[in-house]
This record gives sequence, structure tokens and C-alpha cells, in this order.
Amino acid sequence: MMRSSGFISFVVLRVAVVALLALMALNAQAQSAASAERGLALSAQLGCVGCHGEDGNLVLADDYPKLGGQHYDYLVVALQAYRSGDRDHAIMSGFARDLTDQQIQDLSAWYAGQSGLIEWDAQPPRRFRRGRGGRTD
Amino acid sequence: MTLTASFSKPLLPTLWLTACLLLSLGSAQADTLQGDPERGREVAFTCMGCHGIPHYKNVYPSYSVPRIAGQTEGYIASALHAYRDGQRRHRTMVAQAHVLSDQEIQDVAAFFANMKEDDDT
Repeated sequence: MMRSSGFISFVVLRVAVVALLALMALNAQAQSAASAERGLALSAQLGCVGCHGEDGNLVLADDYPKLGGQHYDYLVVALQAYRSGDRDHAIMSGFARDLTDQQIQDLSAWYAGQSGLIEWDAQPPRRFRRGRGGRTD
Repeated sequence: MTLTASFSKPLLPTLWLTACLLLSLGSAQADTLQGDPERGREVAFTCMGCHGIPHYKNVYPSYSVPRIAGQTEGYIASALHAYRDGQRRHRTMVAQAHVLSDQEIQDVAAFFANMKEDDDT
């Protein structure tokens, strides 16, 4: 009797693990790849453009960063840090708090794809290249 | 009745913008130091170890170190102050910023802000 109930709970556990893995896979599929097009729409809808401009090169005040041409994965990390509170900023914390992972990726894809910031190459002979973002990894 | 309820809806974005501008005005006034890009060039020597290598990656977690050439002077300065004062916690950057004076922060910020695409610096 003991052995069979142990067997049953073993089977239940295995079914549960398989179901969990299947759910995780479905969830990963539900989130699609970053879309710069959706990012552009979001930047207007959420109000990013008010301070950073459509192409990420508007500087409303001197201590606001340019975003155009910034690395995609750095923008993702920065927005996640504002969202989690790891970076605390009077304005950005409020804007980032409710962003989904998908929205963070879309916005980052949009701004990374614009021109603006420069890639600093300290190695000779050609030391500066136009920074164009996009996914580099 | 809440404070926001007493304003009409179209007024809210204007209020936001005003608040943003007031906040940035406050921080701009705190920066009375003038940055010198030439002095900043020397300060920036150690920065190139990560920021001067195209597509260099931070590790654990892995992501590209940010592009800072052509960035605004005020933003670089405020980020460095935040690392120095412990508001941003990236270990390497905290260590780097920790040894910088207010003047050196302003100088290195001016150096990066003034970089041009075809500078041969």
C-alpha cells in the first residue's frame, strides 16, 4: 500500500513538472521578438518623446541623456533598473514602473536603431565610428 | 477631493512637464563648475578600457557597456555623481567615480560630450 501511494505521488510530481515546463515554453512563445515599430508607437503613447524626442536625440535639459544609437541591451538593462528601483530617478522611476518586458524590449529596439551616439574606438587608426544600435549579440 | 481631481485632465501633461523642467532646473543650478574637455581627455584614459572598445560587454550580467561619446555633458556628470554617491551600484563604475573630484567629473563629461564622429583623438 505504502509503495503504491509513493508511486502515485511520483507520477503526479512528474506530470506536474512536465506541465510546468510546457507552460513555460508557451509563455516564452507568447512574448515575441523586440519590435522597433511597436517601440515607436509606444514612445509616443507613453510620453517618452516629451523629453527624449522621437529619435532619442532631443535634449530638453542638459542632464537628460541622448538615447539614439545607444546599445539595445544597455537600454534594456537601464529600463529594467528604473523599473525595479535599482536606479531611482524622480521622473524615470515613475515612467518605468509599469512597463512589461515586451514594452522595454520594443522601446529599446526603437531608440537603439536611431542614429546619435558614437561608438568610441580608442584603437588606431580609425577611432570613431557612427554608432548605430540594433542587436549586436 | 484629491489634488489632481481639482485640475482638468488636459492640464495634467502640462503639470508633468512643468515638474520635469523645475527638477532639471534645480540640478542644473547645482552644476556651476565648467568642464574642460582637454583636461577631461586625461581623466578619460581609464574609461577607454571598457568604453573605448567597440561592442565591449559587461559580464555578470552580460550586456554592452553604454556608448558615451556624444552623450550630453550633464547626463554623464549626473551619472558619475550617482555612482560616486552610491545611488548607482555598478561596482566598476563606483570604483572609477570614487576617485574623481567634482571638477574631474565635469571635465571628463565635457570631453565625451564634445566628441565628434571623425575626431582623431
